[in-house]
Amino acid sequence: MPALPVLKGTLDLLVLRALNWTPMHGFEIVSWLEQAAHGALDVEDSALYQALYRLEERGLLSAEWGVTGNNRKARYYRLTSAGRAYLRAETKSWVRYAETVTAILTAPRNSLPAGDAA
Amino acid sequence: MIRDGVRRFFKLALRRRDQWEREVEDEMRLHLALRAEQLAAQGMSPDAATSEAVRRFGALSTSRARLLDAARHREHHMQRTEFLADLKQDTSFALRTLGRQKGWTAVTIATLALGIGATTAVFSVVSSLLLHPLPYPHSDRMVFVYQEPSTGNRTGISVTITPSAPVVRAWMAGSHDFEALEGYNSSTVMLQTRDEPVKYQAARIFPTFPRFAGEKPILGRMFTTQDIAQRDHVVLLGEQLWRTRYGAQRNVLGTSVTLGDSTYTVIGVLPSALRPPVIGDAPPDFWMPLDVNNNNLGMMLLGRLRPGITSAAATSELDSLVARSGTDAGASALFRTRLAQPSDRVRFRDSLTMLSGAVLLVLLVACANVAHLLLARTAARHRELSLRAALGARRGRLFRQLLTESLLLTTAGAALGVLLGWLGLHTLVAMRPSSLDELRVAHLDTTTLVVAAALTVLSGLFFGIMGAMQSAGNTAQNTVRTGAAISPGRRSERARGALVVTEMALSAMLIVGATMFMRSVSNLQHADLGFQPRGLYAVNLDLSSSRYATAASKAAVITGLTQQLKQLGTLRDITVAGDPPNSMSFSIGRFEVDGETPPPTSETSFIEVKSVQPNYFRTMGIHMLSGSVFTDTTAAAGQVIVNEGFARKHWGTQSPLGHRLRIAQSDSEPWLTIVGVAADVASFGPTMENTAPMLYTPFNDMVLRSTSIIVRTGGSAASIARVRGLVRGFDPHLPVTIENVEDRTATSIATPRYVMLTLSLFTALALVLAAIGLYGVMAYAVAQRTHDIGIRIALGAPRRTVARSVILRGAALALLGAVIGLVAAHWGTRLIQHELYGVAKSDPVSFAAAVIVLLGAAAVACVVPTRRALAVDPITAIRAE
Repeated sequence: MPALPVLKGTLDLLVLRALNWTPMHGFEIVSWLEQAAHGALDVEDSALYQALYRLEERGLLSAEWGVTGNNRKARYYRLTSAGRAYLRAETKSWVRYAETVTAILTAPRNSLPAGDAA
Repeated sequence: MIRDGVRRFFKLALRRRDQWEREVEDEMRLHLALRAEQLAAQGMSPDAATSEAVRRFGALSTSRARLLDAARHREHHMQRTEFLADLKQDTSFALRTLGRQKGWTAVTIATLALGIGATTAVFSVVSSLLLHPLPYPHSDRMVFVYQEPSTGNRTGISVTITPSAPVVRAWMAGSHDFEALEGYNSSTVMLQTRDEPVKYQAARIFPTFPRFAGEKPILGRMFTTQDIAQRDHVVLLGEQLWRTRYGAQRNVLGTSVTLGDSTYTVIGVLPSALRPPVIGDAPPDFWMPLDVNNNNLGMMLLGRLRPGITSAAATSELDSLVARSGTDAGASALFRTRLAQPSDRVRFRDSLTMLSGAVLLVLLVACANVAHLLLARTAARHRELSLRAALGARRGRLFRQLLTESLLLTTAGAALGVLLGWLGLHTLVAMRPSSLDELRVAHLDTTTLVVAAALTVLSGLFFGIMGAMQSAGNTAQNTVRTGAAISPGRRSERARGALVVTEMALSAMLIVGATMFMRSVSNLQHADLGFQPRGLYAVNLDLSSSRYATAASKAAVITGLTQQLKQLGTLRDITVAGDPPNSMSFSIGRFEVDGETPPPTSETSFIEVKSVQPNYFRTMGIHMLSGSVFTDTTAAAGQVIVNEGFARKHWGTQSPLGHRLRIAQSDSEPWLTIVGVAADVASFGPTMENTAPMLYTPFNDMVLRSTSIIVRTGGSAASIARVRGLVRGFDPHLPVTIENVEDRTATSIATPRYVMLTLSLFTALALVLAAIGLYGVMAYAVAQRTHDIGIRIALGAPRRTVARSVILRGAALALLGAVIGLVAAHWGTRLIQHELYGVAKSDPVSFAAAVIVLLGAAAVACVVPTRRALAVDPITAIRAE
C-alpha cells in the first residue's frame, strides 16, 4: 500500500503530539513521525518545518537553540501550555470525528435510520 | 543622547531580520545533513543519500522560499504581540506614575489644554473678523468701490459716497481690471398681507450676484438681464422667509406678493448661505432685480479684481473711465475712485491685531510652561530613572516608556484643548453683540488648531523625553554610587528665570491693555452724549409712495399724525425733523463764511444739515449754549443754528451769533444767519467724533421722501406700544418704522465692550499660565535645593528665613517681569490709544493694576513651593540623598 498524504490540519496535531513528552528538533520530529506511522504517511520534510513555524506563530510552540548529542546546534521546539491545551482539545474532537465517520462508513446499510440517512 | 537610543530602538528589528533568515538556513542545513547521514547508515552511497535527502525535503528553491515566508510571518506576528504587550505594560505603568502625581498631571494637562484651546478659540474669532470678512470665493481679491471728494474737504469729515448709476455703467462697460462688479442696494419693504403690512428686508442685486458669491437658487430660477430690460416685477425669496412664512412649499413659485404698492411674481428661492456684502447684515428676505440703467437707484459696489491687479492700477483705470465717459462731467471732476479692502471696514482693527499677537505669545508661553513642568519633573525622577538604568533597563525600553508617558499626557492635553477651543469659540460667538453679527459664521480655525496642538505636543514630547534620557544616561553611575543629585547648571537656571520674566512681562502688558479697555468701556457708558437718549423714539415715515405724491398730502400726513400723537397725552414731548436723530444727511457745496476769503470754486465740502422744528432741541434734551432756537422758520428769514464744535473751531471764544454762512452751489445761494449755538451731539454713541460742523435749519413743508416724528416717552413699554397702535390705525398702508434711539447709542458701545471682554478673558488666561510658569520654576528650584534646605535647617536656620528666600526669588522674578512689561506696555498702548475713550496712554490706574495683579498671582504661585520647602524634614532630606 502506497503512503497516504496527510489530511489538511492533521499535521499540526501530529507535530504537537510528537512534542507531548519532550522537546525535539525538526529532524527528530520527522523521524518520530516516520516510526510512529510505520511509513504509512507521506509528509514532505519542508512541510513539517512550515507547520512548526505556523504553530510557533500561534503561540502553541516555543523554540530555542540547543545542542544535539553529536554537539551540533539545533533548534528545539517545546509545547507551550497553550499548545498542550490545544492538543488535548483537538485530539478529543479528532477522535470523535474519526470514530463517527468510521462508524458510518463501516456500518451495515440497514442499521441506519432512514430519516437521518437522507 | 537620544540618537543612540533611537538607533538601537530601530536596529533591534533590523538585525533580527537577517538573524532569523540565517536560522532558517541553519535549520535546513542540519536537517539535510542528518537525513543524509541516516540514509547513508542504511547503506546508500554518500552522493545518493544527499540527493535523496533533498528530494524528501521538497524542491529546494520553492521550499526554501516557502519556509522563509512562514518564518517571516511568524517573526512579524511575534514582534507585534511583543510590542502590544510592552505597550500595555508601558501604558499602565505611565498611568500609575501620572496618577501618583495628580496635581502635577492636572496642571500640565490644563496648561496644554489652555494653550491649545484658548488660543485657537480667540484666534478663530479674530481671524474671522479680520481676515475673512466677506464669505465669498476669492474674497482676497475683493474690494468695495466708492468715490470720495477729489479736493480737500474743509469740514474735515471723511466721506465716501456710493457711485451713481451712470458711473457704474461706465465702469462695467469699460473695466478690464475687474473680473466682476456687483451692485447692492438694501431697503425695507412692506409686505401687504390680509391683516396688516409686515416689514421685511429687501435687497436689489444684479442677476450675476449669486454666481459671484458662489451660490445659486435652491428653487426656481434667478432673474435675467431680460427680466430687468422688460421691467418684469419678479422677486426671489430668501430661504429663511420661504421656510418660515411659506412653509418651504415648492408651489410658492408663480404666486404673487405685494410689496409696497407693486405686485411681484415669485420666481425662485435663494439660499441663506448667500450673504449680503454688508458686513454684519443678515440675509435679506426678498431679492429683487437691480437695474443699472435706473438712475434713481443708488448702490454700493463690490468688485473682484483680476489676479495680479493692484488696487492702485484699478483705481486709476476707474478714474480714467469716469473722465472719458463724459457722462456726469461735473461729478467726474469732483470725485475720485476710492477702493476699500473689506478688512478696512472692520471695526477695532488694531485691537484685533493686537489680540492676535497676544494669541501667539500666549501660545509660546504655554509651550514654555509645558517645558518647565516636564523638566522640573525629570529632576524629581532623576534617581528613579538612574536606578532603573543601573538595574539594566535598556535605553530603548526606558525611551519607550517615557515616550508613552509623554504621549499619554500630551494626547490628553490636546484632546481637552480641542474641546476647550470648541467650547470657547461657541461661547465667544454666543456672546457676540448685534454689531458684530458676522461672527455668527465664525468657525474653528483648523490651521491654528493644528499649529497650536503640534507646538505644545511636540514641546511636551521633546522635553519629557530629552530631559529624562539625559538624566538617566549621564549620571546613572554617579547618582547610584554617590547619591549626589545633579546640580542644576547656572545657565539653565538663568534660562528658566528668563522664561518666567518673559511670561510675567507679557501678562503685565495684557493686564494694562485689558484694564484700559475696561476703563474705556466704563467711560463710554457714562459719557455725556449731548442729548438725552432715554425714552426717545423716532417714528420714521416713508412718504415715497405714490399715495402721497403732492407736498400737501405729505404735510397732511405729518400734521395729522402729530396732532393725534399729541392727543394721546402720554408723550412728554414731540417734534418733527427731516431725519431721525441718528442718521446723517449732508449738503454738498462750497462752504463759505461771510467776510472770509471764499474757498476755490473747485472745492466741495460735505456739511451735515438737519432740518428741525424749533422745539427739536427741547425734545432731544440738547442744550442751547448761546443765542436762541429759530424765531422765524421761513426760508426767507434764513436762520441757522450751528453746533458748538464748529463754532469753537471757527470763532474760538468769540460769539458766532449774527455771522453769516452758506453752502454754495452757485454765487446766488442766499446767506444764512447764525441765531444760536447748540451743544455737540454724539447721536451715534460716544465713539464717533461729534465736533464736525453741523447746521440746523428750520423744518418747513418741503418734505421730500421721508420724515421723522421724534417722541419722548416716559420710557415704559406700554407708552411706545400705544404710539405704535395709533400710527397703524392712522394709515395701515403707510410704511413706518419705529426706532429706539437709545438702542442705537448702546449698540455703538457693544463692539468695544466685546473686544474688552475677549481681551480680559484672554488676559486672565495669560496670567494663569504665567503663574503656572512661576510655580513650575519655583517648585523646581525647591526640589533641587531640598538637600541644601535640609542642611540649613539642621544647622539651625529659622524656617522663616528659608521661606523668605523662596518668596523673595519668586517676587524678584515677577517684579522684573512687571517692570519690563510696563515699559513695553507704555510703548504699545499708543497703538490702541485711538480706540480708547477717555483713557490716557499712561493711565496710572491701569499700570498700577498690572503691578498689583501680577504680584498677587506671583504670591499664589509661590505658596505651594514655599510650603514644600518649609515641610522639609532635615533628617530625611539629608539621609535620602
